[in-house]
Amino acid sequence: MTTEPPVAEVEPPLLSVENLSVTFHTDKESIHATSGLDFEIERGETVGVVGESGSGKSVTARALMGLLESTGELGAESSIKFRDESTIDRLVDDYPNAVGRGDGSSEDGTFVIDRDDGNRYVDLAKAPDQAVNQIRGSGIAMVFQDPLTSLNPVYTVGNQIKEALRIHREIRGQEATEVAIELLEDVGIPDPARRMREYPHQFSGGMRQRAIIAMTLACDPELLICDEPTTALDVTIQAQILELLQELQAERDLAILFITHDMGVIAEVADRVGVMYAGEIVEKAPVGSLFESPAHPYTRGLMSSIPSRNLDSDRLETLEGEVPTPHESPHDCRFAPRCPEAFDACHETHPNAIPIEGNADHTASCLLYPEDIQTEKAVARHTRPEERDQTETGDDTT
Amino acid sequence: MNQDTETQSTTGNALDAVRANPRPVAVWGAVAALLLLPELGAVLASVAEAVAILVSLIPGDPGAALVTDIQRAVGDIPTLLSRETIPNRGYYDGSQWQGTFAGLEPRDAWLLRAVLIYTYALLVFWWVVVGYRWFRSNYRVSDWTPFDDMLDRFRTHRWGHFGLLVVVLFLILVVFAPSLSTTTVDQNIVDPYSHEISYYDHEVESVEQTTVGTANRESQSTGEENIGPWTYDDYGRFHPFGTLPSGKDLFTFIAAGARVSLVIGLVAIGLAGLIAVSLALLSAYYQGLVDLAVVLSSDSIQGLPSLLILLLLSVLLSDTWIGGIYSGGFVLALIYGAISWPFLWRALRGPALQTAGEEWVDAARNFGQAPHTIMRKHILPYIAGYLLVYGSMSLGGAIISIAGLSFLGLGIDAPTPEWGRAVNAGQEYVASESWHISLIPGVLITLLVTGFNALGDGIRDAIDPQSDTDSGTESAATGGGA
Amino acid sequence: MSTNRSDLTDDTSEGVSNSDTTDDTLVEVNGLKTYYEDQTLFGGEPVKAVDGVDLTINSGETLGLVGESGCGKTTFGRTLVQLEDVTAGTIEYDGVDVTTLGRGELKQWRRNAQMVFQDPNSSLNDRMTVGEIIREPLDAHNWKTGQDRIEHVQELLETVGLTEEHYYRYPHQFSGGQRQRISIARSLALEPDFLVLDEPVSALDASVQAKILNLLMDLQDKYGLTYLFIAHDLSVVRHVCDRVAVMYLGKIMERGPTEDLFTDPSNPYTKSLLSAIPRADPSVEIDRIMLRGTPPSPRDPPAGCSFSTRCPMKIRPDDYEQLSENAWVAIDVFGDILQARSRSDRTVKERARELLGLKTRFASAEDISSEVFGDVEMPPSVQQEVDATIELLESGDITEAIDTFYAAFGSVCDEDTPTEHRIGQKDHVSRCHRHKTEYSDPEPVLHRTESGGD
Repeated sequence: MTTEPPVAEVEPPLLSVENLSVTFHTDKESIHATSGLDFEIERGETVGVVGESGSGKSVTARALMGLLESTGELGAESSIKFRDESTIDRLVDDYPNAVGRGDGSSEDGTFVIDRDDGNRYVDLAKAPDQAVNQIRGSGIAMVFQDPLTSLNPVYTVGNQIKEALRIHREIRGQEATEVAIELLEDVGIPDPARRMREYPHQFSGGMRQRAIIAMTLACDPELLICDEPTTALDVTIQAQILELLQELQAERDLAILFITHDMGVIAEVADRVGVMYAGEIVEKAPVGSLFESPAHPYTRGLMSSIPSRNLDSDRLETLEGEVPTPHESPHDCRFAPRCPEAFDACHETHPNAIPIEGNADHTASCLLYPEDIQTEKAVARHTRPEERDQTETGDDTT
Repeated sequence: MNQDTETQSTTGNALDAVRANPRPVAVWGAVAALLLLPELGAVLASVAEAVAILVSLIPGDPGAALVTDIQRAVGDIPTLLSRETIPNRGYYDGSQWQGTFAGLEPRDAWLLRAVLIYTYALLVFWWVVVGYRWFRSNYRVSDWTPFDDMLDRFRTHRWGHFGLLVVVLFLILVVFAPSLSTTTVDQNIVDPYSHEISYYDHEVESVEQTTVGTANRESQSTGEENIGPWTYDDYGRFHPFGTLPSGKDLFTFIAAGARVSLVIGLVAIGLAGLIAVSLALLSAYYQGLVDLAVVLSSDSIQGLPSLLILLLLSVLLSDTWIGGIYSGGFVLALIYGAISWPFLWRALRGPALQTAGEEWVDAARNFGQAPHTIMRKHILPYIAGYLLVYGSMSLGGAIISIAGLSFLGLGIDAPTPEWGRAVNAGQEYVASESWHISLIPGVLITLLVTGFNALGDGIRDAIDPQSDTDSGTESAATGGGA
Repeated sequence: MSTNRSDLTDDTSEGVSNSDTTDDTLVEVNGLKTYYEDQTLFGGEPVKAVDGVDLTINSGETLGLVGESGCGKTTFGRTLVQLEDVTAGTIEYDGVDVTTLGRGELKQWRRNAQMVFQDPNSSLNDRMTVGEIIREPLDAHNWKTGQDRIEHVQELLETVGLTEEHYYRYPHQFSGGQRQRISIARSLALEPDFLVLDEPVSALDASVQAKILNLLMDLQDKYGLTYLFIAHDLSVVRHVCDRVAVMYLGKIMERGPTEDLFTDPSNPYTKSLLSAIPRADPSVEIDRIMLRGTPPSPRDPPAGCSFSTRCPMKIRPDDYEQLSENAWVAIDVFGDILQARSRSDRTVKERARELLGLKTRFASAEDISSEVFGDVEMPPSVQQEVDATIELLESGDITEAIDTFYAAFGSVCDEDTPTEHRIGQKDHVSRCHRHKTEYSDPEPVLHRTESGGD
């Protein structure tokens, strides 16, 4: 008697970013701000992206939202697949000519893929500005670092929230006012009816950030991108905002992409983390594994320079050198010049993401991995992708 | 970063660098001397005139005789491009040109001289730029300064180039006015009856003598009778721009008037700028009551009716020694400067206050730097750019105002040449044959002021590094926002 | 003029908190107040940036000063180096009261105490070369000869980790960390003994922070410097400082040796601050004390303890001790709203409306009642007070409403400013009423808020 193996319905992730490369072209030079980023965000989870300035994390956020500066462009191979049902339905209606099957016979100009097997998505990298405008705010919303400049100082806060409601949900007048008051309450601003009629400068920093979060929630997005939302705030206010975000996530099943340079904040809010360096993701892991056993030398370097984790040492360990500005696509390991464990091959071979100890959740882009086999064979894994697929079987016939 | 060449010293000063590599300096110096030599006389003459003016400012007029002697001596130095070297002389005796310079009729001689002068001046200007470039690559100790970025930005600014060109051409006109003109101011405009010229009289078919004044009277442009631009009059004199209703040569008038306009403009804006900068620095550094006092005074002055004040004071001072300079032009310039500083001050106050709030000013106070040094070293460089920008635009404004006043007959009196007076003189003939009297100076004024504004634009864009403001995107991402 | 010397009660009878002045004391601050007057002609209340601070700093040590934005720590640092004028109090440097120095003497004194500023981008004049920047203090004081100055500057460049060639470069050509090094070199030019470091690493990346901190510690060893380290990042402070003072709204709330303070804080504010720091360790469960609301404005500090509006361990009046936690939370929120409304700016139109008895945006008080108290159960006596307050609110009389509210629900925390109480044997003080014998200590009361929740 044959039994059919149960088909596990693995839901495709809410957002999959594949091979995201952002390049800025100026008269003098080209800057490859990000190169070949791959990551995914599931519904309802918080993905953290951590890196120093120059790592390209803010550029990533802006690329997802279609807010790159005019000199920036996405690579031809980049794709940003967003899978929110209501958004896709709306786009299918509005852009019937752009709907494709995604089965290889794709015509140019399609950016909505509507398949029968349920894997429907819209490719934001290929969508025109108009479509991205529609998605921006209602499907994906963003919270920026400086709450002061994100709000227009000459309009009241209530006015700005109601405008968001009008644009994306077409709610006006008294109904809009009521919804806005509710939103302010949801984000924990006391006395919301009065606050609605006040101007941004009458709010404190933390309150402003809450007001902005209220604005983003106005359109019920599926994914919230937070670009260093608490960096400019005091630590007690930061704690309030982080707690607020966690509450909202639980209530609304919101996915969050949280970008920061503060490892402590990442440890608190993130479920999974990507560590970025010079435009690439060098390590991806669930937050527990990342802090417990960081694999990539850069991550280890970051960990050892955090004062709170190194209370015993008199001097903090530091990494020599500085983050480079990449001017071409990667052909070697960009961290090699600063890496304490670099060897010759590091300057010639570009590392791929290798699972650590067979665990596909935790990957590091470093020639030191896979750890359990000899170095040359390990390096070979990075140069010959087809062998990479055979990792688990241990079948390393060269 | 450039690699330091071996000739660049890393610790020393420019002098060491020169000693290490003397060749570029020597070459540049030799060519510069070569260029300077022909025109040395003219340069010294301009300097002498400026000194004469300054000396005449001192009450009692000491050393006037000495100054005049110096001027005469300097005037005797032969210069290459003066009117004597390539004179536009000669006459037409009905069949051919006689007594001309190298066989060129007066018109061509004048054109040759003008072209030579302009070429020479532009050559000098270019050689100075080359000198700067050589200095920068060979001798300057820092391999990069903020000024380099400004130059780079200016290099691609087309409108700024246009402004620079206009201003440079104007300055050449000012400096070389006596040489560029077909005749002298003294001879043609100020004292025509004391000079004589010889001309060829067609009726008697011989060379005769007459006073310039008489000749002028016969060469008037008054609509019916007209000596238009680019023509000869009956006395064989060439007029590139035609003549005025009084018969005086318009080109000479304008060339001399350029000098007057520039001096007046510079004095006015120079004075206003000096007051504005000092007060801006003081209000930015001390703030509080000092700032309040300056604000009150500036508002009070701006509340005065400037036209009335100008007229009143210029009339009051017209009989004094200071009123005699440029026939009242100097007084006008001073008054204009004294009442227009509020505009400049207000433009500088913002940047000055902003700079005074920067941490490096605090740092300077922290180690005990004296207030005046802080103002000079730490705040002034940041407002100098704004001063240049607003100053150059105000310069245009000053020139136009004075010209306007002269046009109304209220500014500079005869006989000092000034562009506005020319416009005034020709206003009734605009629709007639003698349109050139008003139109040419009018166009030149417009062109000049536009040129100054364009230059100001160019400087402003050059000193402000481009800043990308992405503020619109931030509210868009939150889903709306005003 | 110290106001605190006589107010000290309690445990040890010896001395006053501030005379742990030993021979080692370099800086002694007594009763320091720095108020900013309003710039306008008809100014209101001054901003009380520093409101009565007593501190000593011993030679060779690093004293940390932490607090959130607006607490006055930067103003305090600036006042120490005489960049701000003192409104009251004294600053004694090596026995000499700096606030009374004349102009020339002050300039001389400045060679002893220098400041390193926070933002490396704006603390250096971009139009000057690095060499000129570091040299300027020497020029201003006519230090030795020109050649000596150049050599000194080059030495300094090497000491802070740069090279001689950098003398002729412009700040623009350096990274943030390097600019901060230049700033440090400049502050060392006159060979001072005392440095005020105003958030020297806050604007830098994590790995660069570590390098600069290492540099600062090396310099301290090399030159025997004394530091006042102002920061808002507590983990950095823990690493670098010997003693720490915690500041809130212009007053020092707690001060003591670093490890003691971090492992066993006594003051409620310090406890809240420490618990708010995110831990770089996801496996740790944090008992976080959530503070309510935002810090009050320094222009209008609360009467009594400045932390009273947010304190999770505030002393409650005896009458209502049996009220449930939720009820207390609601009452506290109500108090916040009253305070916020009283401080809010009113436009001319609103003032006119109020005068005429018309409704403004401040008068919709019924909403408050349902919104704040909603479904919370309250005994009738409490309800009575609340209703009375709301009535006064509706009629537009905010001051009366606040008075009524605090008469009913206020306590010693709202009326009296707490004094500094000595904790333990070392120089560890904390400013809280709960340290008085008649009230219970903060620690046990902590659990009261945990069971409640917001």
